[in-house]
Amino acid sequence: MPRRSAQAWLDALHALPPPPRFRIMNVCGGHERAISRAGLRSLMPAGIELIPGPGCPVCVCPEEDIHQAIQLALHEEVILVAFGDMLRVPVNVPRSRPRSLEAARAAGADVRPIASPRDALRMARAEPDREVVFFAAGFETTMAPVAAMVLEGLPNNLSLLLSGRRTWPAVAMLLETGETAFDALVAPGHVSAVMGPEEWDFVATDHGLPVAVAGFESASLLAAFHAVLRQRSAGAARRENTYPEVVRPGGNPGARRCLETAFEIVDGNWRGIGTIPESGYALRPAFAAHDARRRFPEHAAPDRRRAGEMPAGCDCARVVLGRIYPDQCRLYGRACQPRHPVGPCMVSDEGACRIWWSSGVRQTEVANAEKTPSTL
Amino acid sequence: MCLAIPMRIVAIDGFLARCEARGVEREVSLFLMQETDLAPGDHVMVHVGYAIQKISEADAAEAWALYDEMLETLDGEAGAPRA
Ligand code: SF4
Repeated sequence: MPRRSAQAWLDALHALPPPPRFRIMNVCGGHERAISRAGLRSLMPAGIELIPGPGCPVCVCPEEDIHQAIQLALHEEVILVAFGDMLRVPVNVPRSRPRSLEAARAAGADVRPIASPRDALRMARAEPDREVVFFAAGFETTMAPVAAMVLEGLPNNLSLLLSGRRTWPAVAMLLETGETAFDALVAPGHVSAVMGPEEWDFVATDHGLPVAVAGFESASLLAAFHAVLRQRSAGAARRENTYPEVVRPGGNPGARRCLETAFEIVDGNWRGIGTIPESGYALRPAFAAHDARRRFPEHAAPDRRRAGEMPAGCDCARVVLGRIYPDQCRLYGRACQPRHPVGPCMVSDEGACRIWWSSGVRQTEVANAEKTPSTL
Repeated sequence: MCLAIPMRIVAIDGFLARCEARGVEREVSLFLMQETDLAPGDHVMVHVGYAIQKISEADAAEAWALYDEMLETLDGEAGAPRA
């Protein structure tokens, strides 16, 4: 079937009756990057707002987990490996102490960025006398490969500090608490490729909001915006899928089975948000020997939970919840820029602040200063 | 972080495949694809070294066009770390 071009979808979108105000949330850094890079916001019909929500696993990674990773990294025998994004995320400690994994590395710790769980395996095998700790943050798409690594068999000297999160419980929380007001959801493509698009049905069936799974091309995103707006005009709500070439019914059953076999579902703490029921992954008891939290129990710091919110002055918590746009943070572009980030949303490639800055958004124009996404 | 790139399978050995994209070869795990039939010549979406879904050749080509654009943007960014 020949696909419609981005322009054709844009025309179709403009041909629909314009809504007074229609807020479409996305929960995927990849979507936000595609939207910002293509400048889709400025092409929307009047009334349509595109809100970046909780789409950055690094941004919501609990501060106490990063703190623990830093403490582990400072061990003589430990090699701490993590996806590159994680290295510069700051924790809230005095300046005299290492405030990030990168700072720990500068202080002599063996911290190594990796691009794949397989790199962690390789390093553990290459240095059997060292303890390799893999600090693994990510959503379902990334946790499935981590599960595969666990199931294939881990060397004795490899353990995991797991900070994986599931995306749909965060959306369910937003909808149930009314924390953030939005009118439709664009659901993440690669999470759905693994878990199946059906995970998002609840948005329509339980909450009556239109939802469409989208890919990362402008055409797919515009098709999704069109789908949810068309539903709204028709007074209906259901789940659609504009990324069928990768997102199939049921997702990837082999990957889902791996996730189920390796991990159990637990409540998860989200930095700046708090605990969200059933939103986290933990190693099943059969793999407890590879749980870094058990292997190095002395570094668990439950008391950090309260200390561990976003850095002072940083509005990441509200950015992640979709309550404000990045450029509405007072530090955006001033004290906080990619070269000297204050909060995790400016560090991670998937953080909304970082994405907006990279896409050329500078300080707030006065015009939209008071128009926050959650204004009712 | 959930970025996935399309690659073509060149050879399969157990759960490991040699995959190619734009002349670059990589070892990719097929561990997550145990319920999918795969053969050399097939295309898969690869995320952090693991195939997560099979796609058609035509869709792989389209996804590559998009990925090229994104790489350009990323390369253009000051200090963006590239894995
Ligand atoms: S601009 Fe910086 S300080 Fe403000 S919310 Fe974003 S990351 Fe935090």
